Amino acid sequence: MQEILSVQNLKKQFKLSYKQQRLQRTPQKMLTAVDGLSFTAYKGEIFGLLGPNGAGKTTTLRMLATLITPDSGDAIIDGCSVVRQPDEVRSRIGFLTGELKLEDFFTPDYLFNFFSDLYGVPENVRAVRKRELFSRFGIDRFAEVKLANLSTGMKQKVSLVISVVNDPDFIIFDEPTNGLDVLTAKTVTDFLLELKSQGKTIILSTHIFSLVEKICDRVGIIIDGKLAALGTVSEITGEKNLEDVFFDIYAARAGGTL
Amino acid sequence: MKNKMRGILAIIKKEFARFFLDRRMLLNTLIVPGLLIYVVYTLMGTIVSDIAGTGDSYTAAVRNMSAYIAPAFEQSEVFEITSATESDEYYTGQVRNGEIDIYVVFPDDFDDIVGEVIEGSPSSVTIPNVEIYFNSSEDSSSTAYSAFVATLDVFEGSISNVFDINAGEADYDLSTTSPTSYILSAIVPMVLLVLLFSGCMAVAPESIAGEKERGTFATMLVTPVRRSHIAVGKIVSLSCISLLSGISSFLGLILSLPNLMQGVFDVVDLSVFSAGHYLMILGVMLATVLLLVAIISCISALAKSVKEANSYIGPLNIIVIVVGLLSSFVGSSASPLLYLIPLYNSAMLVTDVMALTVTPLNFVITLVSNIVYACIFVFLLTRMFNSEKIMFNK
Ligand SMILES: Nc1ncnc2c1ncn2[C@@H]1O[C@H](COP(=O)(O)OP(=O)(O)O)[C@@H](O)[C@H]1O
Ligand SMILES: [Mg+2]
Repeated sequence: MQEILSVQNLKKQFKLSYKQQRLQRTPQKMLTAVDGLSFTAYKGEIFGLLGPNGAGKTTTLRMLATLITPDSGDAIIDGCSVVRQPDEVRSRIGFLTGELKLEDFFTPDYLFNFFSDLYGVPENVRAVRKRELFSRFGIDRFAEVKLANLSTGMKQKVSLVISVVNDPDFIIFDEPTNGLDVLTAKTVTDFLLELKSQGKTIILSTHIFSLVEKICDRVGIIIDGKLAALGTVSEITGEKNLEDVFFDIYAARAGGTL
Repeated sequence: MKNKMRGILAIIKKEFARFFLDRRMLLNTLIVPGLLIYVVYTLMGTIVSDIAGTGDSYTAAVRNMSAYIAPAFEQSEVFEITSATESDEYYTGQVRNGEIDIYVVFPDDFDDIVGEVIEGSPSSVTIPNVEIYFNSSEDSSSTAYSAFVATLDVFEGSISNVFDINAGEADYDLSTTSPTSYILSAIVPMVLLVLLFSGCMAVAPESIAGEKERGTFATMLVTPVRRSHIAVGKIVSLSCISLLSGISSFLGLILSLPNLMQGVFDVVDLSVFSAGHYLMILGVMLATVLLLVAIISCISALAKSVKEANSYIGPLNIIVIVVGLLSSFVGSSASPLLYLIPLYNSAMLVTDVMALTVTPLNFVITLVSNIVYACIFVFLLTRMFNSEKIMFNK
């Protein structure tokens, strides 16, 4: 198995504003969102970061995507350090967050071209790639329709396709099925499996157990910014199901009870 | 090089597409502001002249009509003027009975003193007093009084304008320049500044805070495009769009002014301005819009949503209004250093152009300083785009 991502003792703290201190009912000025995280992902697999809200998943993925810098530690993606070579990392990865809302005014075709321009994808390469992606995911039917007039499922497909305009080998998805209905969520999981079948590596975050069980090869359970378990899904679950195992781990960490 | 510029161009192209391909957006920012101002000002002018024109005109008896002021009344049909030949008591009696609306007495030496003031060599310090008798219990008399006073005010303003700036230049052509430029220089700068501001407000927060709110900004930041290119691309395109909206408003404003002033003074004459004047105004508008867009973009970058951005920018709106008002009251200034003050310099320069007292030096100072300030804010915006604390604040 070839290593494509190596996360090494990543740490990230946030300074809390007074408002946040009040909201979170804490006297502490600093909040440790990610606390010494280390794991590896191998080429061609889907790696899941599973954890409750506030566990530090988004923060971790943002550090991998070079959007925020770690306080300490590093992550090496395809041989490039997110801390020292952010530009190289950027040209090698795709990134999508479930919160993304593309501008309603534009058509899928326009947005594909726009992001291709930002990545500097040459015109001819872009044309071939667009045709291929649009036909594979059925976007060609509505490629010239403004996003405002598309269903949630169609929009989600467009977002997914946009995240791979640069044909990256390593793709980061933050809560890709969050807030989607079952049909749209199915579109997303099908898309991810399709990417995997092309030999791409995917790291995704989620709090949905079934998503992990269905499509992830390996999973890291993250609680309070720390890795609580790591392995293939069957290694972690053994005889039980993932949900029960998760709550056992959670209760153990929290000091015996939920 | 081409590769480097690609990001900037893509961003400019997208902002333009967003604007020019959206019919509603075009209508709202290009057509509506100008049209609205034109219609509102024209309506206001009509209403004012309707009120002023109850019974179509007023009757005034005038003793010693000034030769300087008479032309203003001859052009307009607001006043029906008769020369006073009878005694004062006769005319005050007529005003009291409502037979005439007002009775005006110019002092004997009025024209002599005004003439000296215009030539820049007043021989005495006596200020001539014009007496206007009116009857406050009669509506038409009160309005006639106000209209007459307004005309005198304009005239007074125009001679002191000339006096202030052209002292000693005896051949200055007073009659064609003064009333128009006096009125315009009082109104245009402040309205223009406010309109430019709202033009910028219509596009910048949506483009910066909106992208942040929707998560598309993060998607852009993951691409290899430089932050500085994003900042420049945004500012350039948003400024162009705001400038177009500003030009639309300016045209509406300037074209409606003759209608706004109709009936009261038929003296607003846009032909006193040359192409150079209009180009200067365009230049100042461009520099102002660059600066405003850059400032508004920086403030928007701090916000998490368009709504929040708009609430942050509210106070700036007030500053813009105050600066505009200030420039109308204070008038143009002698010291070129004052033209280094952002926004205030724009308002002053427009005032100067309107009053036909603009100097090339002040124009250049205004233009260059605003562009420099805008560049500073673009630099700041780049820093903000680079700051995860700002771009991913919670
Ligand atoms: N920019 C920020 N400023 C302050 N606190 C933050 C910031 N981003 C995240 N946090 C905090 O860090 C913790 C982890 O957040 P996050 O990574 O978003 O969790 P998850 O994605 O697993 O729900 C949370 O407690 C969150 O409130
Ligand atoms: Mg999250």
